[in-house]
Order: sequence, then C-alpha cells, then structure tokens
Amino acid sequence: MEIFIQQLVNSLSVASVTILIGIGITLIFGLAGIVNFAHGEFLMVGGMITWFLVTSGLNFFAALLGAMILVGALGFIAERGLFRFTLERPMNGFIMSIGMSVILQHVVIRIFNEVQKTIPDPIGKVWVIGGVDIIAMRGVVVALTAVVVAITYFGISRSRYGMALRASIADQDTAALMGIPVRRYVTGVFVYGSVLAGLGGALMIALFPITPFTGSVVIIRGFAVSLIGGLGNVGGAVGGGLLLGLVDGLSAGYGFPEWTDAYSLVVMIAILIVRPQGLFGGTLGPRST
Amino acid sequence: MKNLKFGALLMTAALTGLLAQLSRAADEELKIGVVAAESGSFVSAGNTIVAAAKLASQQINDGGGVKVGDKTYKINLYIRDNRTDVNVTIAAARELVNDVGVKAIWGTETHDFSVSMAKITGPAKVIQFSGNSSLGAVLDDKSVAPGGWLHYTFQSEPQEWQRSGSTAKGVLSLLTPLLAHAPKHSVVFVGNDATGQYLSSHYVKALEAEGQTVDLVKYPPDTTDFSPLLTRVKGMNPDIVHFWYNGDSTLTAFPQALKLDVSPAYFLFGVDPGIYQQRQLRSDKPVTMSCVPVCWGSSPYPAVQDYFKKYFDLGASKGPQSSVSLLYYDYFFMYAKALEQVGSIDKPDAVVDALLKMSYQGVVSPVPLTFNPHHQVTFATEVCLVKPNTSDQFNCTVEQPPPAPPAGDSGG
Repeated sequence: MEIFIQQLVNSLSVASVTILIGIGITLIFGLAGIVNFAHGEFLMVGGMITWFLVTSGLNFFAALLGAMILVGALGFIAERGLFRFTLERPMNGFIMSIGMSVILQHVVIRIFNEVQKTIPDPIGKVWVIGGVDIIAMRGVVVALTAVVVAITYFGISRSRYGMALRASIADQDTAALMGIPVRRYVTGVFVYGSVLAGLGGALMIALFPITPFTGSVVIIRGFAVSLIGGLGNVGGAVGGGLLLGLVDGLSAGYGFPEWTDAYSLVVMIAILIVRPQGLFGGTLGPRST
Repeated sequence: MKNLKFGALLMTAALTGLLAQLSRAADEELKIGVVAAESGSFVSAGNTIVAAAKLASQQINDGGGVKVGDKTYKINLYIRDNRTDVNVTIAAARELVNDVGVKAIWGTETHDFSVSMAKITGPAKVIQFSGNSSLGAVLDDKSVAPGGWLHYTFQSEPQEWQRSGSTAKGVLSLLTPLLAHAPKHSVVFVGNDATGQYLSSHYVKALEAEGQTVDLVKYPPDTTDFSPLLTRVKGMNPDIVHFWYNGDSTLTAFPQALKLDVSPAYFLFGVDPGIYQQRQLRSDKPVTMSCVPVCWGSSPYPAVQDYFKKYFDLGASKGPQSSVSLLYYDYFFMYAKALEQVGSIDKPDAVVDALLKMSYQGVVSPVPLTFNPHHQVTFATEVCLVKPNTSDQFNCTVEQPPPAPPAGDSGG
C-alpha cells in the first residue's frame, strides 16, 4: 500500500514539471499560433542559466528569477526577430524552430560544454509521512506550478487583457478594428510562455541534472500534454499533465518499466483519435476572417 | 670567374635539392582518421575520442614522429564529426577511406556505428580501433580471419564478460563487509537501448555466478524523473541496486534513489570518483563505483594521473566519460609501434599480425595490453568504495578478469 501511495505522490510530482512545460506550449501554440519546437531548448537554457548563477554564488530563488527574465528576453528576441515573419506561414515557423533548437543546443555546448549540469538541492529535505517519502523540493515545484496555473488561468479568463487576447483569437481582424493590438498580444503570449520555460528549466535543474539535449526530450511530453488537454486551454494542460503523470507513475510501477514513455504516448494517440480537439477543447491561434 | 659562378650555381642547385629532399622527408604524413560525435546526443563520449587522439598524436609528433624504415612520419589527424548520426558516420568513413586515404580510423562510440564503419574500412584494408565491447558479438574466428569483414577491426575495450566478472567481484567484495548480512538480492537498473541490453545480459550472469539472485529493471533511455521506477525497485527489497550504464543516467537516477531510500547499498557503473566528488554526492549507505578502464578521480597510478593531467590541460571536459578516452589513447602508441615493426605504413595485413603479437605497456592497466585472436584487448577493472557520508574518501581496488565466462554466458 505504501508503495502504491508513493507512486501516486510520484505521479503528482512528475505531472508538475510536465504541466509547466505544457502550459508554455499550449499558450504559444494555441493562442499565438506559433509551433515553437525550440520551447524545450528555452527550458534547457533556463536550467543552464540557473546552474551558472547558482555556481557563481547566487541564491537558487534569485537565480530562478534571473532565468525567467533572461529566457523571457530570449523569447522576445525570437518572436520579434524570427517568428513574427512566419505568422502567415506556421509551417515555416515550425521548421525554423527545429533549426533554432539545434542551434541553441550547440551554442550552450560552445559556452558551457556538453557535460551534464547539476546544482545542490535548494532545500535538501525529505519528509516521511506514513512510510511515504515526500521530497521537499518536489513539494515546492508542485506549489509553484499551482500558483502559475492559477495566475495564468485567471489572467486569461478574468482580466481585461485576457478578454482582449481571447477576442484576438476568435477574430483578429475584428479585434484589431476594436483597437486591440493583436501583434503585441502575440508577442506578449510568446514572452510569457518563454518566461514559464525559464521557470520550468530552473525548477527542473533543482530536481534533476540537465544536459544541452534535455530540451529535445521534454518537448515531446510538452506537446503531448497540450494536445491532450486542448491547445490554448490552460485547464486542459493541467488535466493532460495530471493524466500523463498518473500513467507514467502507475505504468512504471506496475507495467513493463521499459515501456513507460510508450504508455503515455498511446494514451495521447487514443485521446486524439476520440477527441481531436483534446479532452477540454482548444483553439488554433489567432484567426483572420 | 666563370668557373666560380658555375660552381656557386651548382652548389646552390645542390643545396636547393638537398633542402627539398629534407623538406619532403619532414613532410611525410601518416593520415589517421577520427570519426566521433562532436555534436548530437553522444557528444560526451565522442569528445573523449577526439581529445585522446589529439593528445596521443601531439605526443608522438613532439617525440619525433613515427619512425618507419628510413622515413619519419608525422601524424595528421582528419577529424570528422558524425553528429551522432549513423548516415553521417558512414559518409565520413567513406570520405576518409576513399578520398583522404587514411591508414587507420579511431571511432566510433556506439556498436551500430562501428559496425557500419567496419563495412567500409574492412574492404579498404584500413585499421579500425573501436571501443565498444558489444563488438564481441560479431568478432569471431570467421570475421577476423584474413579475408573476413572484421580482419582490420580491433576492439579496444575488454570483452564484456571479463569486465562484468571483474566488476561484480569487486563490488561484492567491497560492499559485503559493510552490510548487516551478506547480500543475496541484486537489482540491475539499466537503460533499455542496444548497449544497455548487451551489457546487462553479461552483468546479470556475472552477479549470478557470484551467488546473487538478480532482477533486471530496464528504463527508457531518455528518462529524467526516475522516481516511479525507483519506487518499483524499492518494492523489490534489494540488498544492492546496480546502476549499470550509462554514467549520465546514473548520475540523474542515483540522487533520486538516495532520497527515496531505495536500497541499503549501491553500485554506480561509469561514474568516476572525480565526478562523485565534483557533484558533492553524499550517502549514508555504502556506494561503490567503477570506471572504464580506469578512474581519473582517485587513481593511485602515477602514469594514469599524469595522463589525465595532460588530457584535462588540453581543455577536455571532466565528465563521467572522460576515463573512456584511455580506450583510444594507448592504441595510438600500439599502432605506431606496429608500423615501426612492420617497416611500412602500406602493409595493413602485416600491421594486423604485429598488433596481434604485441604486448604493450600502456597507461590503462598495470599489466601489458595484448589483443586476443578475436582482436579484443584484456585489462582489469578499477572498483572504488566511497566512505559513507563523504564525497572524497575512496578505497579503490583493481580486479583482474575471470579466466572464463560464467555459466550461461556464451562470451560473445
């Protein structure tokens, strides 16, 4: 029984990191209409920045803030300098982002080298409750993810900016006629998604070592989560992340362990066949009439 | 006056000719290819091959070059990045063999890539040194015989049953005195790729030969969050968890295992004491680790210390794979010695014979290196125990390989 409860706790922590990645992707893909395959590398860059700042003597939480700001700036440059020119041709943007992911990997190797990077656990405590081990830093990741989800959800569904953003998605021409700066909103969403990637990278390196190639691994799960939940749907990303976390945790514990990744992807394929719009429904970026 | 002018002209011509001759002699080039991942996911393994090749060739050239017959050759490396892509590897091998005309190739880092290269180097009679122990599955009497497709291929890593045997023996001998009871149940935790499957099949047999009951748990190779898998392992109540291949995954999984209190003892394959120290890892449970072929972090051998000082001074990274560089370094000197013995760089069959007869005292092992008839090298394994609750206090032992494969292990 203890092992089963431990697996449920593990599932929640696996889900948290995945949800953070998934929210960034679902916003950028679903709301801005940009398929950024380099989003995983943005996360990796966030982790590397955190590593650099922490090993330079900075406190982890200050380094986390630094990673969010710098990856946000990277997102701003990428959107304004690259993706802005592909908004009318998303496939070009997609291919460009694949190239960008490889370039970012090798820029990081050039600057920091290829060796795996890690930092000491910022909290370093394990709580044992009823025979179940709860790693304190994972608890922090779950809590931070919950805060990010709440801010993002209410920002989109309740704020004036969120309403304008949703109007841009529904019909960008009409929204523009109403005085909504649609392009600026696209940039804003892209930068916000990038900031979340920076946060995800910082939290990830607090839990696991990362390499310049970590991004290319996590991106698949990020896209799976956002597609399962429904593109552009923050609640969907949370639901998708929890579902994949549960599948991962339980399949690793009770199925063929070497198939762990496959189980999650089978679930994604099944959902996309039955509900192509995702479990919670989604969008496909700003539409012009 | 005329005669004087003629004499000066003659002398100038003779001097020019002499200088040209000398210059030609100085320019004799021994072309050696290196195919390794300098980008892509195998970059940490690939960079070790390149760094070792650069260090070895630099030392040989600085020492006057390779003296073959009445000529002296300077090694020129032709390094190709295979981008961790088998197709790029094949293209690079073709270019090096057909266009550049290399006499030997070092690389690559994985089984499939090395085998693909051997299909090109073999027919062209180009000597190939590859580190993968998994080549043992294809190096046999027929394939290495003259005319065989692997006649010119040498496996610079020991046979897997040898390494597994010496490692299992070393790990158990170091851990047993520290445990409450003699360990009986081992769980081998391994990445589910071709190399992981091959390596673990031998290691499981080696542990069974030492009296262990073994469970094998395979994980997807790109796993970062190991907590669900490690919880499963914890539920098996192991006496020892063996993280077997590869170093980077082990360094990701091991700290998670410590936090989840998975086992009373651990073995980390491919994790160097130097990395353990660098990461400031600490465990209240006994932890052993081993390196291929010898550790850079705590080696008692002056030759090894000297090698790694020079290796890192060249700018190579300190990673879990750094020790692997030695699998490639020593063989430059063996190859150079074989060329000197043969007296020509253009007699590859004679070079193969010379390599097979050679006993060479390299850096990797206290005993001289020799190739067996299947073109595989033999050397010992270094296993280290870290004192509990420390990151930098190691007790290392060198285990010689067993004389024969254990029951149920075909050896290949």
